[in-house]
Amino acid sequence: MMNIQASVQRPSRLATITRPRDASRFAPLTSWLLTLPLVATFAIGFLYPLAKLVTLSFTNGAESYIRLGQDALYFGVMTTTVVTAAAVTGFCLVLGYPVAFAMTRLRGKAALITAACVFVPLWTSVLIRSYAWIVLLQRKGIINDVLQDAGLSVHPLKLLYTQSAVVLAMTHILLPFAILPIYATLRTLPPDLARAAANLGAGAVRTFLLITLPLSLPGVFAGAILCFVLALGFYITPALIGGPGSMLMATLIGQQTTVLLDWPFAAALSTVLLSDALLIVFLFRRALSLSKGFHNVH
Amino acid sequence: MKSRQHACSLGSLVIVATAFMTQLPANAQDQVVIASTGGAYDRALKEAWFDPFTKDTGIAVTIVSATNAEMRAKAAAMVKSGNVTWDLYLDGEIQSASEAHRQVTEDLTTFCARFSTKADLAANACEAGGALLQSTATLLVYRKDEGAQAAPETWADMWDLGRFPGGRAFPNFDDPWRVLAAALLADGVEKDKLFPLDVDRAFRKLDEIRDDVTLWWKTGDQSVQGFRNNEYDLGQIWLTRAKAMKNDGLPIGWSYKASFLVGDRIALVKGAPHRDNALKLIAFWLDNPAVQAKACDVLSCTPPSTEAISLMSEEARKSMPTTAEIKDSVIIPDAAWINANAAMLLRRWNNWVR
Repeated sequence: MMNIQASVQRPSRLATITRPRDASRFAPLTSWLLTLPLVATFAIGFLYPLAKLVTLSFTNGAESYIRLGQDALYFGVMTTTVVTAAAVTGFCLVLGYPVAFAMTRLRGKAALITAACVFVPLWTSVLIRSYAWIVLLQRKGIINDVLQDAGLSVHPLKLLYTQSAVVLAMTHILLPFAILPIYATLRTLPPDLARAAANLGAGAVRTFLLITLPLSLPGVFAGAILCFVLALGFYITPALIGGPGSMLMATLIGQQTTVLLDWPFAAALSTVLLSDALLIVFLFRRALSLSKGFHNVH
Repeated sequence: MKSRQHACSLGSLVIVATAFMTQLPANAQDQVVIASTGGAYDRALKEAWFDPFTKDTGIAVTIVSATNAEMRAKAAAMVKSGNVTWDLYLDGEIQSASEAHRQVTEDLTTFCARFSTKADLAANACEAGGALLQSTATLLVYRKDEGAQAAPETWADMWDLGRFPGGRAFPNFDDPWRVLAAALLADGVEKDKLFPLDVDRAFRKLDEIRDDVTLWWKTGDQSVQGFRNNEYDLGQIWLTRAKAMKNDGLPIGWSYKASFLVGDRIALVKGAPHRDNALKLIAFWLDNPAVQAKACDVLSCTPPSTEAISLMSEEARKSMPTTAEIKDSVIIPDAAWINANAAMLLRRWNNWVR
């Protein structure tokens, strides 16, 4: 999200001439006025409820936070949540990058089919996709049937209600969120760069590692952030596919909100989850820009 | 010119919108909004209860679907924000005795007075927290096996892996008292001394069976799919689901010697927009044994009226606990204790189960 700008090249003088209505030509006041609807929507629809949430968590002073700190459960579940989200993000990037790369190279029917494979799941309800995994993974499910028919296993394997099942299903659900930003970045890379590298004697692998991959990192970063933040808040999929061991923060927040109706405590849990997410995103960005010297990663 | 046109269309939009807003309540006079858990449950209630009510009184019944937990949270939010759009919602027997429930719903004591003289109604048919819709059991079910010597009967049998091998199933839907209570009964605690639950002892007993629990179900559907898939052979599940599986021809049996009876209540939201209609709808349920019988025939539940029970089909009555069974073995939970300790129970449960 935040680096869509990053992938767009700064307008050159030529661009300014060919595109007369460039944003920089507007007076600052006009620019502000134009962004006002967006700012107002953000303030009313996002910042205000968020502020209410944080205020709610301090209803009884810091009591909710003290309770939260005293029970090892919350730290443990927070760790599981972060580890799960990180694993899902990792798988999404590893699986998503080749797809995004292929999408920039494919033409005609193949491109259409690939795009459909990415978009159709995205348009399908998370609930339905979670149930689809149940059908596949259950004891008399398709995967166990195939394994047994092929003689690879004697007894049906326990695939459903495990942590691996949760990671698998979440990866499947979040994959488009990794593919699309990477694809968007890869598409803007001028093919001349790869050709120039080839001209200078670099092989395909070297060209990819030294030219394409580094230049596509802003897209990778955007995809990683999207997947990670969305994965932190997953609720339905772990509930349907996970066992008691895959208890995530959203499960605990749900319990406090709907079962115990302890909203200040639920708000405190949400605030902690939110600050953790912000902190991790911040650290991640820091690490990425430091190690690579990427000034265009905002 | 252009901006004036815009102003014009905006103006007419506002007028139209206001017209709609003022018209809605006028139309809505003859209705009542009830939140229920949806699906087959709603369909049964609609056919047996809402449709005859509308035919009788001309009051339309609007059904809103949500899970029990969502209903609780949403009703609380409505009352807190002063923007109440529901009149009635269904909640568990235990929850409707809680302090949180009292803050969100109207005390029905005065309304209930007129039902206290009705001989066919159960003593708890109408209480401050809501009118009794029906009761149903959570109980021990097992896979029927042709060659088996004996069928499991008690919670102790559920723990007896030697005599009754196979995977076990227990609920894990944020309301853990049923599982703890079963563990204590299996450990030899007497029925009368079950509450207050000895939580430490219960978890120690659960440790024994933990590795053999092959399914911790969160939704009723999981308990059904799990049985179909041989995920477990003995389990603690809802009677309504067990009955549905039996109707589908699955080899399932159950035991009332290991069962808990819990009801659903109809609660009136504080500041309900159609309060009078809502009370009429409740009265229609309690006053009409035939309506109760029709709904419970489908849902295999126990209605609040004994007259309704006698009107039910032979088939449906066979799957209901007998009076003797209720007296000797069916556990009626201590709602006050469970509510007072809900947060502690859930915290201990989360720590143990994960």
